[in-house]
Amino acid sequence: MEKILDKQRLDDWIAALTDWEAFAPAVEDGVWAFRPVVGAARLDHPNTKQPPKGFAFPQREVFFSFEQIKGEAPRLTQKLPDSKHRVVFGVRPCDARGTVRMDRVFADHVDDVYYQSRRNNMAYVGLACNKPPSAHCFCLSVGGSPVSSDGLDVLMTDLGDRYFLAAITETGKSLMTTAGDLLKMPAAADRKQAASVHAEAVAQPQRAINNPDGAPARLKASFKSPLWEELAQACIGCGICTFLCPTCHCFDINDEVTGSAPLKGNRVRTWDNCQFPDFTMHTSGHNPRPTVGARLRQRVCHKFQYFHENFGMHQCTGCGRCISDCPVGIDIVHVVNKVTEHAG
Amino acid sequence: MPDNIYLPELARITYIKEEVPGERAIKTFRVEPLNGDSFEHECGQCAMLSAFGRGEMMISIASSPLVKEYKQFSIMRVGRVSAAFHDLAVGDVVGIRGPYGNSFPVDDWRGRNLYFIGGGCGLAPIWPVITTAVAQRDNFKNITVFYGGRSPRDIMYKAELEKLRGVADVHLSVDKAEDGWDAYCGFVPANVMDKEPSSDNAIAITCGPPIMIKYVIQNLSQLGFADEQIYTTLENKMKCGLGKCGRCNVGKDYVCVKGPVYSWAELKNLPEEY
Repeated sequence: MEKILDKQRLDDWIAALTDWEAFAPAVEDGVWAFRPVVGAARLDHPNTKQPPKGFAFPQREVFFSFEQIKGEAPRLTQKLPDSKHRVVFGVRPCDARGTVRMDRVFADHVDDVYYQSRRNNMAYVGLACNKPPSAHCFCLSVGGSPVSSDGLDVLMTDLGDRYFLAAITETGKSLMTTAGDLLKMPAAADRKQAASVHAEAVAQPQRAINNPDGAPARLKASFKSPLWEELAQACIGCGICTFLCPTCHCFDINDEVTGSAPLKGNRVRTWDNCQFPDFTMHTSGHNPRPTVGARLRQRVCHKFQYFHENFGMHQCTGCGRCISDCPVGIDIVHVVNKVTEHAG
Repeated sequence: MPDNIYLPELARITYIKEEVPGERAIKTFRVEPLNGDSFEHECGQCAMLSAFGRGEMMISIASSPLVKEYKQFSIMRVGRVSAAFHDLAVGDVVGIRGPYGNSFPVDDWRGRNLYFIGGGCGLAPIWPVITTAVAQRDNFKNITVFYGGRSPRDIMYKAELEKLRGVADVHLSVDKAEDGWDAYCGFVPANVMDKEPSSDNAIAITCGPPIMIKYVIQNLSQLGFADEQIYTTLENKMKCGLGKCGRCNVGKDYVCVKGPVYSWAELKNLPEEY
């Protein structure tokens, strides 16, 4: 299903989606973030500071609460996510591909009921990148594209005064059907313009990983390379690279105590970070990844080797956030290129 | 698998025994499910234990799968959750979820000589294999157990080890000589070397401190054991047990799913990061 939406009518479409809570990028404290749509949604954002991964995988969530009188059995109360339907507008193709990778982790093998139930009630209305939103974009290097529909329910393309909409999934179709007369059939000229915008988008210059297909084998051969410590030397272990990453899924589980006698509290999941030394440190003090170099190697090899070995795809979608926001200038494109060039 | 993989079952502690006293205290716990029906496990698998308010920890199940009424865990007091367990009493209720990970291919070892080589609290993860092999004694040829602690006080499962004599050869050791100790003095790898086990039709299963495992494997190789004849079990910090939380990986393998049991042949193919 393909349609045309007048830009002026975007808000009417969102208003028509009465079964859905709608989110769109908005500037908050000078930062682009996905916020509930209040008034007019604007889709003139570059990319949001944070990817939309928190919609299915919030930074902090309660698994269950417990209450226990000493010596007695505790009462556990599950805190499953609500069943609200949420639709996110303006998701960039790299971030939608990030969600596809998160799905593999949380929904493959054994279902994570917290992730899965949110995910089942979510939809993405994506926006193609006519121009790379960041100087550090490299989606084309990692099997993506600025006009990729992978992971989206609807792909919108900006044609100036109107959007060209393509339904990608059944959910996307139903979102578009709800719009009724707001959406028009595209004319031949609209289709032609959309095709040429896509062709131009793909031809825009981007940064490049030189040999992405060869990366898994070359990284494997470079496990003991001295380059890891060298390239990680400036790392301060702040973890912003993984915090802003659309594919980083590592988490911690802890008990937060809220009261005693009876003991009360919550078992809580929070995002965690492979760049922190205690992420892997055993209780004995032994740490399999004791240095910044070992931790940079883990981040890079997880994305470009281990995930590829397990799932047949890179766990990086080229959004460039970890490069733009690293306070010490560690650049994953440079790291992969440098290490793989010197492999073997 | 339950619908909610993170929700533990409740289990009551029915037995506590202090195995080793002091700063590196080890206690053995047996837990029984409150609802009378829990998951089944295989030799070498682990379970996530909860002390509510303190958190969870991943511990090897030390009882044989043949024992249905309880699950046994031997836990050293080292961290927040293990310390909380050491403060619990019989009758207290804890959480348990699992089982996690792969298992020792015990059925493939029928008709072979088995050598178990443990150090410190590393006896617990291989104890279910030892007790299963002993319970199915006719399925195996010779069973030999090497086990050592820092001092005589650090030897766990003392009574159980004594009971093994007769059905298995038991070679105990302590790191340092002490009055009243008449078995071997020295490190576990040296005790193995001293007894010169034959690699003929044999399987060696080892668990203990990383440095012990390293030298045990070196010595076994020197004695002619092939990489495929040597098994060990890894430990890593774990939170989920299901290959999602992202911290226990060695290369592409999440130890909580693909491990913890590896043959030395398999382990050699993974990056040296454990």
